[in-house]
Amino acid sequence: MPTSPDYAVDALDLVKTYPGGRGRPDVRALDGLTLTIAAGTVHGLLGPNGAGKSTTTKVLTTLARATSGTARVAGHDVVREAAAVRRSIGYVSQGTGADPLLTPRENLVMAARLRGLSRSASTARAGDLVDRFGLTEFADRGAGKLSGGTRRKLDVALGLVGTPSVLFLDEPTTGLDPEARSAMWAEIRRLAGEDELTVVLTTHYLEEADRLADGLTIVDRGRVVAAGSPESLKATLEGDTLSVELVEPDASLVSSVAGSVALLRDVSVHVEGPTGRLVARTSDGPAAVGAVISALQAAGIRHGAVGVSRPTLDDVYLAHAGRSWTSSDVAVKELAR
Amino acid sequence: MSTTWITETSQVTRRWTTDGIRQPWGLGVAIIQPVIWLLLFGNVFSSVATVPGFGADDYMTFLVPGILMMTVLYSGAWAGTGFIDDITSGVMDRMLTSPVHRSSLVAGQLVQQLGLCFVQGLCVLGIGWLAGASYDGGILGMLVALGASLLLAAAFCSLSSAVALLARDQTALIGISTIIVLPATFLSTALMPASLVPSWVETVSQYNPLTWAVEIARTAMSPSVDWSVVATRSLWLTALAAVVAWWSVRAMRTYQRSL
Repeated sequence: MPTSPDYAVDALDLVKTYPGGRGRPDVRALDGLTLTIAAGTVHGLLGPNGAGKSTTTKVLTTLARATSGTARVAGHDVVREAAAVRRSIGYVSQGTGADPLLTPRENLVMAARLRGLSRSASTARAGDLVDRFGLTEFADRGAGKLSGGTRRKLDVALGLVGTPSVLFLDEPTTGLDPEARSAMWAEIRRLAGEDELTVVLTTHYLEEADRLADGLTIVDRGRVVAAGSPESLKATLEGDTLSVELVEPDASLVSSVAGSVALLRDVSVHVEGPTGRLVARTSDGPAAVGAVISALQAAGIRHGAVGVSRPTLDDVYLAHAGRSWTSSDVAVKELAR
Repeated sequence: MSTTWITETSQVTRRWTTDGIRQPWGLGVAIIQPVIWLLLFGNVFSSVATVPGFGADDYMTFLVPGILMMTVLYSGAWAGTGFIDDITSGVMDRMLTSPVHRSSLVAGQLVQQLGLCFVQGLCVLGIGWLAGASYDGGILGMLVALGASLLLAAAFCSLSSAVALLARDQTALIGISTIIVLPATFLSTALMPASLVPSWVETVSQYNPLTWAVEIARTAMSPSVDWSVVATRSLWLTALAAVVAWWSVRAMRTYQRSL
């Protein structure tokens, strides 16, 4: 299969099913996912929990094998040339890659030795990475005692030991406090500036994707629902987003009332417990606000704040996946229970 | 065996060894457990040696080879624990996405386990000597006994690793320990000579790898070594260890296919 060397990742029609177990049907984690990622960019795989982001990463890093479909990473087939792929990539999983009983430096040296570097080269490489990630202070303490943010830096450093051309980061900031998260963002932006390094990042934080990624693939239910730069994705949505906070809403009543307002389109109502949210698109925000407020009040519907905003990735997701980000995340959590 | 494979394997061994040394509790228990057994069984069953038909002069000399093999068996049952920790933490994912041979990951950990078993074996022989056991076979006899314990350990550590990689659950390892190891101990000649156990136990014990290893150690450390016993039992143990080790490498690949 001829492939353009400009692509760091070139995946075609990936399907991955897992046995459901105990008589339940198989789980289709990937359902025909096709993806290309340009070399030298930061690419975000964005989607709610359970969308198939991690599975995609596992297939691309040779950890898991797709049920069908093909993928090339750094120009090598992930199945037939798995060893070559492994030499070209770094993988930072959702867990930690570090042995808690070894120090960060020992972890780095061992990772380098396992990648075939000589003893002296491994020590030097570990020293470089310790300096680069500001780990000097912690380099000779047990990795198990590091704070969440520092440990995550070590994980990323471990991913870079083999000077990969493609670095996979699976939810690099999940579970970090805001300060550690912005430190990690700065780190990833710095990596992005490096020559010939492609960063593939999965996240379920819209803000993270928006800030870091040059290109985005929005994944839902194992399929790609939209792809492009954050700006181009937002630009495909015309006009503004209008949202109204609702108190104990009757969803069907709210829908029909809002639907009758001529200035609104793509009306949707999301109910979560006692509160809810009306979301719609409009080409004339200021006028729509007044029209919606009077329509709701005329129908006796209680509401809270009304706002108008420029399109966000949440709106992009809503437009493409047919449901809001927050609601699908909640739905997945309920399924998992 | 390429030099790459040897480097990888020795790095993996080194890692597990460092981990082991940094968990002094685990190491301490690994040493103290056989000592307790030796002293406990040695005292409780000491009168067994006076029973007609026992065959050996004193129970401690009879017991040391049995405790030596029991020790590696119990130790080996837990060998897979490290893999379960690695799977849970994410270290395994990083290893499997790096260009390391899968067999190095398994073999490196096995070598560390064998090292631990060797140290345990030395302690058993040392404490046994202090408690009055006699090793008429000399240094050679002791080395043969330790060698047999390592063959048995290789088989059982590999079994534990394979189960750990397939079941990915600590409780499965507790299962090995209680369902296999404990009955295996009593269905062998580790604690009691074949002449004193019911005939069905004697029959079963002949197929028990623990008995093979104990027989090697007993004859090797006795005044008159029966080298045909050493040779045949060693052959059986080597074959068993090779098969189970091969299975544990396959289990690593099966684990990856399940991802």
